[in-house]
Amino acid sequence: MRTLFRSVFAGLAMLGAVAAPAAAETEIVVHYPMPGFFKDVMEKISTEYVKTHPDVKITFATPSATYEEGLQLMLRQAGSAEMPDVSFIGLNRLRVLAERGVGVDLKPFVEKDDMGSQGFSPRLLKLAEFGGKQMGLAFATSNPIFYYNADLVKKAGGDPENPPKTWDEVLKLSAKIAALGDGTIGMSYRWQGDDWMFSALLFGHGGTFLSADEKKVAFGGPEGLASLELIDRMVKEGKMPALTADAQLQAFYAGKVGMMFWTTGGLRGTINGVGGKFDLRTTKMPVIDAAKGRLPTGGNAAVMFTTDAKKQAAVYDFIKFAAGPFGSSVVVPGTGYVPNNELAPKDDRYLGKFYQENPLFRAGLSQMDIMIPWYSFPGNNGVKVTNTIVDNLARLVEQKVTPEQARDDMVAEVTKLLPR
Amino acid sequence: MSDHALALPALPAVAPRRRVDHDDRAALSLVGPIAVLMLLLLLAPTAAMIALSLTDAELGASTITFVGLDAYRDVLGDRTFLISAKNTALYVAIVTPASVGLGLGFALLIEAGTELRGFFRSAYFLPVVSLITAMATVWQYLMHPAIGPINLLLHVVGLPSINWLGSSDNVLGSLALIGIWQQTGFDMVLFLAGLGAIDRTLYDAAEIDGARSAVDRFRLVTWPMLGPTLLFVVTITMINAVKVFETVMTLTQGGPAKASEVLLWTIYQEGFVFLHLGTASAMAVIFVAVLLVLIVFQTRVMDRRVHYG
Repeated sequence: MRTLFRSVFAGLAMLGAVAAPAAAETEIVVHYPMPGFFKDVMEKISTEYVKTHPDVKITFATPSATYEEGLQLMLRQAGSAEMPDVSFIGLNRLRVLAERGVGVDLKPFVEKDDMGSQGFSPRLLKLAEFGGKQMGLAFATSNPIFYYNADLVKKAGGDPENPPKTWDEVLKLSAKIAALGDGTIGMSYRWQGDDWMFSALLFGHGGTFLSADEKKVAFGGPEGLASLELIDRMVKEGKMPALTADAQLQAFYAGKVGMMFWTTGGLRGTINGVGGKFDLRTTKMPVIDAAKGRLPTGGNAAVMFTTDAKKQAAVYDFIKFAAGPFGSSVVVPGTGYVPNNELAPKDDRYLGKFYQENPLFRAGLSQMDIMIPWYSFPGNNGVKVTNTIVDNLARLVEQKVTPEQARDDMVAEVTKLLPR
Repeated sequence: MSDHALALPALPAVAPRRRVDHDDRAALSLVGPIAVLMLLLLLAPTAAMIALSLTDAELGASTITFVGLDAYRDVLGDRTFLISAKNTALYVAIVTPASVGLGLGFALLIEAGTELRGFFRSAYFLPVVSLITAMATVWQYLMHPAIGPINLLLHVVGLPSINWLGSSDNVLGSLALIGIWQQTGFDMVLFLAGLGAIDRTLYDAAEIDGARSAVDRFRLVTWPMLGPTLLFVVTITMINAVKVFETVMTLTQGGPAKASEVLLWTIYQEGFVFLHLGTASAMAVIFVAVLLVLIVFQTRVMDRRVHYG
């Protein structure tokens, strides 16, 4: 049916071309995940793009609900006629594409282009680079930040103007907030779902998941153990309960949680969810190791899929536009992600003013210099490894194991899942 | 169909051949369309699934190799799959008797009552027609440990609050509770139909024979006469319970620490998140096989005991 439609369409278009010899139209089919986050953003960007590129027509494939579903769709349709020309893939899933040889390496394009002057620093390019392949350009990027309920902090005797800067201070304040009673929760750390927030602690200690050659597990060392001990202390000293991710967030929205540690990408949603019920503030993540400490980058990258050489130039141009300063100026206010382009935050045409007027968004921005890529494990068990880590964190938060036991089980189980 | 089958022996032994041919053709043309549909929509996908389960297929991988029964060996030795099978069995063991029992109880009460029968019937049936994914969100709120009404109620009567979905000890029970809520109304409607079909004169006869109390009438007439209905209800309830997925997907994603890992969720994860199509197909084949054996066994064994006359 669709092909029939297309050929009829193509026929009509050809008739039109004969009648009025206009510029040949290039159609770019764009696919993106999480319409709740990105639908408006994508429409704004494409409308703006075609204003300056009248010869290009942008159509959207049906969006996928999650990064996982988006990845499946692209893997399924790779090489077929239905395959979109560009898709936005989770940063932690790019490696799967790179290893399976799906998606177009942008290295040849990037090398010919002067990326620096367009705001794409080497650090930003590195976020979407795997095994020497430039799998895409980072489109929406995030880092974990510290959200807090200033009303509860004040009630517990804390100073909302000077939020805790170390984990020791966080845990002390959390105990005080929990002591307010009436179901109040001191803190919630978003350890569920994936290993991203765990990596914030691990990288914060200066640790890594695997050894440099990616052959051996490295989180069994002192940094990994210290991260697990910190989670253990959140439960023991900070009185953090074992909740599902949704329940945690709902409790925060309802004003029942003092402090929350989660992605800045959820900022716009949180502002809407809280809706003025309490004084919402954000600040930097507590510092663990001031010199070696790093934070993981969440988000997605624009990836090229079309193998048609003529089309590739047009798609590359669109990707650069979406990931460029204008794209940032749409994505950042709409979601809470940090700019993935160095020019955007400095220029008043884009985000310069926005950051002055919206202090909540500054926490993520101020941590951009310590962002490193979201680590994805090698081999075809990458996602399973993530689940294994989360399962062991769940046991730790439920206090069914000690940090040492959790570490030993994690190391043993992950080792089995790594490629041999 | 049954008319056709009954009519055949009545045909004269010297019936002309052509007539039988004609009948065969009529039968074929009647059965044909559904047979083709079954072949295309049920048997072909099942065959594809079995074929895939013998390979190392991965989404997006460029090669695919035949690995024989390796995937089955992996699955049967996989800790996650075994936990998942155990959790599913436990879930079925809670949901089936509870919702069948409650469904029968409600049906008897509604049948015995005289007023508001229509109201109660629809009230109990509502969970069946509501969208479970949407209702799961309502349950998430009801069971919220800090702001949920259930825990607030417990607090009012001086009981400690319960971490319904966040604790690995409680999560399967909480999900079973939602499953019972969803299934009971359906079972009730089936029982109502079964009760309606019982011949009234049997009750009169039983009463004349000395069955005076309601318990006696239930024991001697209702319960035996409900046999075929009960068999059907138990089977359909078990099948529905084994297929639990939506609540797990929306509320717990198998967590915490695999405490709510159930078979369909495990298969979904393996195939579509971990991208291991071969292993996921092997899991699905095992799943379907176990289900088939259960159903056949149950129908064979129970069938003999519930048919009268």
